[in-house]
Amino acid sequence: MVKIFVVDNGGQWTHREWRTLRDLEVDTKIIANTTSYDDLVKEDIDGLVLSGGAPRIGLADELGNTAEYLEKADFPILGICAGHHYMGRFFGGIVKPSKTPEFGKIELRILKQDPLFEGVPEKSIVWESHNDEVSKVPKDFEILANSENCKIQAMKHKNKPFYGIQFHPEVEHTEFGEQIFKNFVKLCKK
Amino acid sequence: MFNAEKFIETTIPKLKDEIKGKALIAFSGGVDSTVCAALVNRAIGKQLVAVHVDTGYMRKDESKNVIKLMEKIGLNYHFVDASKEFYSALKGVEDPEKKRKIIGEKFIRIFEKVADQENVEYLVQGTIAPDWIESGGQLRDTIKSHHNVGGLPEVMKLKLVEPLRDLYKDEVRKVARVLKLQVSERQPFPGPGLAIRIIGEATPERTEIVREACDIVEMEIESAVEKGLMEMPWQYFAVLLPVKSVGVHGDRRAYGYVIAVRAVHSIDAMTCAFSKIPNEIIDNISTKITNKMKDKVNRVVYDVTNKPPSTVEWE
Repeated sequence: MVKIFVVDNGGQWTHREWRTLRDLEVDTKIIANTTSYDDLVKEDIDGLVLSGGAPRIGLADELGNTAEYLEKADFPILGICAGHHYMGRFFGGIVKPSKTPEFGKIELRILKQDPLFEGVPEKSIVWESHNDEVSKVPKDFEILANSENCKIQAMKHKNKPFYGIQFHPEVEHTEFGEQIFKNFVKLCKK
Repeated sequence: MFNAEKFIETTIPKLKDEIKGKALIAFSGGVDSTVCAALVNRAIGKQLVAVHVDTGYMRKDESKNVIKLMEKIGLNYHFVDASKEFYSALKGVEDPEKKRKIIGEKFIRIFEKVADQENVEYLVQGTIAPDWIESGGQLRDTIKSHHNVGGLPEVMKLKLVEPLRDLYKDEVRKVARVLKLQVSERQPFPGPGLAIRIIGEATPERTEIVREACDIVEMEIESAVEKGLMEMPWQYFAVLLPVKSVGVHGDRRAYGYVIAVRAVHSIDAMTCAFSKIPNEIIDNISTKITNKMKDKVNRVVYDVTNKPPSTVEWE
């Protein structure tokens, strides 16, 4: 069984991430973002999802121990919304309030094929809920997808298995959300 | 995938362990509390006391039907008509969070009274995942205080038991189907009831208007679904807006309330898309509402927002 934990940053949909993983037969648990990296290593996890949340990363400081996870982990990490923002800022990108915040239904455009988006068409419907965004991608990252009002909907670290996504694959109304999770689980299996 | 049979199998012994003595269940007659009651009933049998409260903010004939349901399941029950108490507690209250908190606390005080009479120590609630998620706390922002979580008073004598905490509505429905409960497909109805479908003060007069409007929306949509004209929405209801608009009735000026009709599609209430109802159905709803309540309502609008940015209920 693949083991992927969900780090709770206070999102409305943290529990949905847990549910999606559980439905994919993943061994999963919601953990506080103050959990130490050593405790994660002891659990021998295969991957981590950083949930979204109310904290405004562009404006606030830390997100529990997330910095330590990003610094030390060699397993895949998927940052969603606030988790994505934190990842962007941690690696040297810029996070700012969005000029046009997106809520609800948006068209996602995939710019670069990647294992995370296997089976997802170039254009698809995703659900959003964000006030901030990564406005400049970190040096070591590449952009994988965008939308009309947000340049960086998905990004990937060039040398590490780290992904950040602005939209929410965990909710029912995101057309290929479950497929994206399936792909992430596959990446964690390797 | 969620396995309802397994859930039932593991939950009943857990409940037997957890509940040492008599328990009271807050019974609204919706899917969540009915499933909860059925599970706890299997675990502790006659040690369970169901309490149904008529808050005055129930839908048409709701309490009457709930009493029938409790009898049918064979529950040991109490029925409390507290509508006057609720109306007076909400007098002059406009803020939606205040309404929710007042209602939450009132519920608990009523349950405590019955608990005293019956010597009960445990309170069973059909709280499900979106209830505690949206109620917030610690890292999570409060979107709205669900009466069974965020509406709970800080000091409470009863010990809480919430067997469905990690489930979403679609999963609760699966459990209900396995338990062969008739209510398995019922649309969700919020604990604070019609009080949060009246924007502004929830007076008895406004309650009657929204109760009638909700009934019309339900009847029209259910009959359209039966005829195969549309898909069954996740939730469908009316909201009374505290604004008045000008109309014309038989060559005379009219000045009445606005009713908003809301219908959404969802699986778990965490995201929703507004339902695409055929125009002729919307037309029927609008005409029925404005004709039946011509002295009160002369305008009907349809809510075309998704969640996010909005929520299902307006408050």
